[in-house]
Order: sequence, then structure tokens, then C-alpha cells
Amino acid sequence: MNPHALMRRCLSAAAALLLSAGALAVAAPSAGAQEDDVDTLSIATNQEVDTFNPFKRRYSITYETSMMTYETLVRMGAEGYEPVPGLATEWVTSADGLEWTFKIREGAKWSDGEPLTAQDVAYTYGLLIENQAIHDWNIDFAANLVSAEAPDDTTFVLTLAAPAPAEVLNREVFIVPEHIWSEFADPSADDANQLPLVGSGPFQVTEYKTDEFIRLAANEGYWEGAPGFDEVVYDYYVETDAAVAALEAGEVDIVGNGMQGALNPAQLQALEGQDHVTTNDVQGRRYVSLTINYNSVTQDGTEFGDGHPALKDPIVRQALHMAIDKQALVDTVLDGSGEPATSIIPSIFEQYHWDGGDQLVQFDIDAANQLLDDAGYVRGDDGIRTMPDGGQPLSFRFYHHADNTAYATIVEFATEWWAELGIDIKAEAIEQGSLNDLAYLGEFDLAFSGWGVGPNPTEQLGMHTCAVLPTLTDGTERSSENNYCNPEFDALHEQQKVESDPAVRAELVKEQQALLYADTPVIYLYYQNVMEAWDHTSVTGMTVQPAGGMVTGQQGFTWAYYTAQPTGGEESGGVPAWVWIAVAAAVVVVAAGAIVFVLRRRKTADERE
Amino acid sequence: MTDSSSPVDGASIEAPSAGRPGGRVSSGFGRYLLKHVGGAAVSLLLVLFSSFFIFRLIAGDPIDQLTKERPVSPEQRAAMRAELGLDQPLWQQFIDYITGTLTMDLGESFQYRRPIFDLIVERLPATLLLSGTGMVLAVLLGFWIGTRSGWKQGSRYDKGHVATGLLLYSAPTFWLGMIVILVFARYMGLFPVNGMRSPSTPPDFWSQSVDIGYHLVLPVLTYTAVVYAGYLMIMRSSILDEIGSDYLTTARAKGLRDDEVRDKHAVPNALLPTVTLVFLALGSVVNGSIVTEAVFSWPGLGRLFVQSIFYPDRPVLQALFVLFSSSTILAVLCAEILYWFIDPRIRRS
Repeated sequence: MNPHALMRRCLSAAAALLLSAGALAVAAPSAGAQEDDVDTLSIATNQEVDTFNPFKRRYSITYETSMMTYETLVRMGAEGYEPVPGLATEWVTSADGLEWTFKIREGAKWSDGEPLTAQDVAYTYGLLIENQAIHDWNIDFAANLVSAEAPDDTTFVLTLAAPAPAEVLNREVFIVPEHIWSEFADPSADDANQLPLVGSGPFQVTEYKTDEFIRLAANEGYWEGAPGFDEVVYDYYVETDAAVAALEAGEVDIVGNGMQGALNPAQLQALEGQDHVTTNDVQGRRYVSLTINYNSVTQDGTEFGDGHPALKDPIVRQALHMAIDKQALVDTVLDGSGEPATSIIPSIFEQYHWDGGDQLVQFDIDAANQLLDDAGYVRGDDGIRTMPDGGQPLSFRFYHHADNTAYATIVEFATEWWAELGIDIKAEAIEQGSLNDLAYLGEFDLAFSGWGVGPNPTEQLGMHTCAVLPTLTDGTERSSENNYCNPEFDALHEQQKVESDPAVRAELVKEQQALLYADTPVIYLYYQNVMEAWDHTSVTGMTVQPAGGMVTGQQGFTWAYYTAQPTGGEESGGVPAWVWIAVAAAVVVVAAGAIVFVLRRRKTADERE
Repeated sequence: MTDSSSPVDGASIEAPSAGRPGGRVSSGFGRYLLKHVGGAAVSLLLVLFSSFFIFRLIAGDPIDQLTKERPVSPEQRAAMRAELGLDQPLWQQFIDYITGTLTMDLGESFQYRRPIFDLIVERLPATLLLSGTGMVLAVLLGFWIGTRSGWKQGSRYDKGHVATGLLLYSAPTFWLGMIVILVFARYMGLFPVNGMRSPSTPPDFWSQSVDIGYHLVLPVLTYTAVVYAGYLMIMRSSILDEIGSDYLTTARAKGLRDDEVRDKHAVPNALLPTVTLVFLALGSVVNGSIVTEAVFSWPGLGRLFVQSIFYPDRPVLQALFVLFSSSTILAVLCAEILYWFIDPRIRRS
């Protein structure tokens, strides 16, 4: 090969490379500059969207997007979930508690600029009454509605069949724009409302790429003032570890409740060491409990399942309860991020939480042994107690979720404690779906359960009423939590539902919890903290809920994201300039390589001839 | 293409063109084709039927997932069951599934409440991009290194590459992916942690392409690192099979340089057995990167599959199972047809 030709070729390739790289380097920052004008609050999530229809939402992610896009008449306060004005500025109820009159806020607008009036509110509540599918979907509330009317643009009147003060104030009915929804062929369809959504809330969903991101744009005309951020983006992360790495790298601003199974203590500790990250470890809304199979029975009294007969005896259940050191579980399993539980309403809901009072069960293995001795459960030769009639030994099956290491640890502890009672435990890790199937078929002795509790205690307590006992024995009806049925409890439940004095209602709710505690169908183990973290170099000023509480997983209004302010720090994300340069360089190198290759081929072809 | 065609090859290639025993040859191919297409069709049917039942073995009520975040009344549960078609008897569900799958109406996903066909169409490009790119790189890399490894068997180059390749091959993809994320994204900050594109990227074609390419680097790196050793080892052993052949001695005797002997004589012959293997691998491009997709939150079919298992989102699992299996079956069929043309022994048998 001619050395001069080679030299020439190399020189021209190098020149071309430099030129195009330079051109791109100039172009790239200007492309970047456009993005920086938009302040984006990015939040990690891993939950898919089922529907943007606020009447059909099931998942917490779609609850959040609904709550940001639309608004309710009454918000849940940031202090302690108390009712505070939302779209309604004030409300009064008639003496019989059946007629509610709401004053609708003047000057509120839909995000498309149309005014929001009481007509929209009446239309929305009307859907709950008249649209069959929406009615069925919300039956527990909708069945009690008689009429929804708007005598003028700022007055809305709701008429009920029976008083339900707590439900009216707590039930989140997201007000939708009549001028858009009345055009829909079927407002109950999952895909009824198409993006971009039109709502009256601080942010509206404008774009959704399945499993990539959800984008919500700020409502500049929001009646309370435009939010601090121009947009909120939910970014999808399959693994919480990846979301943590992204927060550390500054790619995402908030990691918390949006991730199902949220952060664990180890991840939180790792994040605590980061200068730009604020961590938050506060009371949560979730409890973890032990379900005891003591009463697998249908509404008409048919027994089913194969629970151990000893568990029907409240003495045995209390003994099991006494021999659990809940504080030890909190310390080891949760690494201290939580507190021992007494009842179904976690302590975060101060108003309704019952702390056990003087009935509080203390960890005392000797006392538990005494209880069992007195009840006639005698120890056999192997140290295992038997039924008082001398028959079956007290050997219980204890099922735990195969994917939950915390539960596995609890099983180990409990097995040791209960061994001291002369109770034998056969533990088995079972995949979640199968475990649920077995639990509802009544084919277990002990198993785990747990719920995230909402601010209205009626929902959780309702799972323990006789009305939701199954009618079939095939395990397909799953509305009852452990088939608890106590008429006294039901009577209290009906009372608290119609009680309009919050203090009196709270007392009734506490009495219900005390009954549950005494009957021990379930042993509440602990309340789990919420662990969340955010990048304080890009977001600040978020309002927590309740006081001293969390920024993610808020209820009743999106306090944190509405009040969040950008710090004006450098936004990361987007393609850095060096990538553009690298791409340009790669293109040039490949092109040059191709030319050289072709020339060489031609040359060798020449040589062959 | 090369000067190494053996007399056998020459003769067999001549046969059809000469048209001498034309009828016999074509009927031979016809029978061969029929046999394998028939086999593939039977396999497809079995997949179609079994897919319905396999995923019913995953226990759990989908309604539990839909309602896990708030208590619901029995009426609400019933309404949900009806909407998902779960209130239908099993045989009705089966018939709906078969007719639906055959007419490309795959039904609706439980979790996304959207047509499954749309979900698949949406994710297929992401998967093809990731595992397609990874596969091409892995094949090129594996063949390149494998050739040189085999050629200099026992050398330091050979030992080093085989050890590295096998080490990566045996590393759990999940673990390797997290290491890659920590090193390149978290600490060096060179690449994004995960996803396929950044929401803040302008929507124009060039910005999107570069952004997707930028996000593609780490997943492809991980995917390639895990699978290239397979191709390396196959290419290496193919080369080892050829290395003592007489034609190589002849080529050397002609005075060719060592790398010419390797590249122009040994490699083309060693490639034959591996080409069909690559074809087989093509079938798994569709489902080839399930774990990688999960680690990097890559919005492809593999991630959809994983997410649906945990649900369990049976309609999606059924559809994906049929898709994954049929793509493999079709690739195997193609490989078998290809054999007919590149392996004369089949034609003669």
C-alpha cells in the first residue's frame, strides 16, 4: 500500500471526526438547555396503572394520580387526617343527618379553563347513584345515596337514606367535569377518560408510557395557586435497590411509599450516609398480624376447613398472645422502625387508636403456662400439651409467606416462645397465592396477615362484622378477616357509622377494638414505620401528613407534592453532552472504518488479479 | 466463497441444478418439510392447550391482588369477578381462550386492564432491541474470541478468555446487573440507573434515539457478558474439530500466513455447525432477557412476564407463554429447513 495514500486517509478521517464532534458539542448543550426550564419532581414507583378512571381505581398509584388530578369536596388535613375544606368551603347537615348542603368554592376552574360549578359536583355524585357500574363499584357508599342536586352554581345538596356522617366527609368522591364526562359513551369504562386528563387538582396526568413513566403537568390556574414544580413524573423501577441507587445518583427525587414493599432498614441506613439525601422513618399506616383459625364457619353456621380444635378456646389464643414479645420483634425484625401493636387501628390515627389500656397483654411465659395448666391442657411425656380430653397434642401449622423474610424471622421467634408453653409448631413457607387460598378455605392453624389502614376506621372494622362472613365454603368469598362474628361488635359498628360527634364516635371505635382484643381472633404484632427518602438538593418545603409524618402515601390531598418547591439546583437526567460527542465520534469512526475497509478490499482484489 | 469446498459439497450442490433426479429430490424435500412443519404444528397445538392449564396451577385469586389495598364488600368482589370473566365456568373460559388466541384477540390483562395484544406490541420492540443487540454482540464477540482461543488452544490467551467467559456465564444475571449499576451508574455516574429513556428527553427522533441508545448500554453490556461465553465455547470447539484437518495442512503448505489459514480456511468450515445454533438462539431473542429486563426496569416482554407471574395475571402469562414457545418452535423449524440446504448428509439419508 502507498504510504502517502494511507497518511492522507488517516488525516482526513481525523479531521472529519474532530469537525463533527465539535459540531455536536455545540449542539448538545443547547438541546440540554431547553430541558432545564422545566422543574420536574420525580418519584420512584413500581406499580402499574390499572385505570385513570377515578371511580374504578384500585391501586395506590392510581389513587395518587386521581388525588392530584381531581379534587374532593372535603380534604383530609395534614395535621391528623381531619376534614378540612377542599372544593367545598363549608358544609351543614340537617337535624336528622340526612341532608347535607355544601357551599362550592367560587373561582375554581378546570384545567381546560372552564369554570367548576356545583353542577359538576351534582353530576359526579349523580354518577354514583345512576350509573349502574359505578354504583356497584362503590356500593358500600352509593347504596346510601338518594339524590344529588345543585340548586345554584355554588350550592350542592346531597340526600342520604340513612345518616352516615363519617362516610360523607371521608369518602373520596373525585369531582369530574360534566362538560367532558357527559360526552363519554360509558363513564364507567376503564378507559373512559383519555389523556391528557382534565381536572381541577394541582397536577393533571398528561402522559403515560406503560412501565416507563407517568407525567403530570402542573395546573397553572389552580385556585390555591400554581404548584412549585412544573411537573411531577413517576419513574418506574422494578427493584427497590435500583431506585435507591437512582436516588444516590441524583436521578430520582423521592423514594418511598410509591415502591410497594418500600425501603427496608438497610437501604435507609445506606441512604442516611448521603449528604444530599434526607431520610424519614416515621409512623406508618400498616399493621402486621397473626391470624388464628378458630372459627371457619359460614353465615348459616356450616363449619369448614380443618383448624385445630384447641384454637377455638379463647384461653389458648390468649396464652399464645401472652407468649409473644412484640418489642423484641420490633427490635429485631424491623430494626426498631415500628412499635408493638395492640389493635387494628395503628397509632398514627391517634383519635381512633386504642392502646390496650389496663387490658394490655404483657409478655409473660409463666402466666401463659399457668393459663394453660388451669384450663387442663396437660403436658405429655414429650413436653407437648394435649387437649383436656387427653386426645390431640397442641401441634399447630404455622404458614408464612415464602417471599417475606420478616415473617420467617417472626416464625423462628414465636416457635421458641411457644415451645416453652409446650406447644409444637410446624412452620411452612408457602407462596402468597396458595397461602391465601388455604387461609380462606380454613385449612391452616396460624398464618400472617396485614393491612395498610385508611383514615376512616369503618373500612377495617367492617371486615370483622358478621355480615361479611362467607356464604359458601369454597373459599372464594374473601371479605371477612378471619371470620370474626360478634353481635356486640356489630352493634357498636352500626352506632359508630351514624355517630356525628367525632369524640363519641372515637369512643365507640375504641370499644370495638377492645372487644377484638379480648376475643383474640387475630394477634396484632406491630405497626410498621414508613421509610422514605428524598433529595433535598432538588426538592424542599414538602408538607408532611400527619404532623411529623410522611411525604409519600398521603391521604385525602397531595399536600407534599403540592407544596414541594424546587431548590433551583442542577437538574440531572437527560443525555449528557459527552454522549452526543461519543455518538458522533462513533459514527465517524465507523464511517471511516467502512471507507478504509472498502478501499482495502478493492486493493486486495486488485492484488489478487 | 472459499477454495475449500470439498468434492462432496460440489456434487451435492450440483444435483438439483442438473435436474437429473429432480423429481426424487424435490419430493424428498417435500417430505422432509412436511414432517418438520407437521411436528412444529403439533408442538404449537400442545403449547396452546397446555398454556391454559399450566397457569391455573399458580394458586391465588386475582381479586386478592386487585383489592389488597383496601377492604371490599362481597358485592364489589362479585362485580370484579364478573368484569374479569372469572365467574364463567372453566370450559367456557377455555373456549374463549382458544378462539381468542386463534383470532389474535388475546383478551385483557388483569393488572393493566388493557388489551394484551396492545401490551405485547408495545413491549416487543424494547425486547427485540435489547436482546437483539445483545445477541449480535455476543455472537460476534464469542466467535471472534472463540476462533482465536481454539486456534491457540492452551495458550495464555485461551485460558484467560475461557476462564473470564465462564466466570461471567456462571454469574447470576441479577447480581451482575446490580454490580454494573453500582459501578457505572451509581459511582462513576456515566450511565442512567435504569429505564429505556428519560422523561425529560425532547420527543424528536434524534434525541429519543440517542437517549434510548444511552440507556441501552448497561443492559446490553450485562446481557452480552452473560451469554457470549456460550458462543465462545461453541466456536472454540468447532475450531478444535477442524484444527487437525488435512486441508489446513495443505493451506499451510501453500505458504499462507497463519491468520490467513485460520480466517480463510478453518473459520468458514467451523462456522457451519454454529450457524444453525445461532438460528436457534434467534428464537429466544423474544424471551431471552427476562432477568436483565427486570434488573434494569427495561420495559420489555420479559419484565411483563415476571410482573404477571407475581400477580398472577393469567391471560398475560398464557399469551406470553404461547408467544415465547411458538417463536422458539418456529426458529427450530427454520433451523431444520436450513439444515437441508447446508448439510448434505440429511439430503442423502
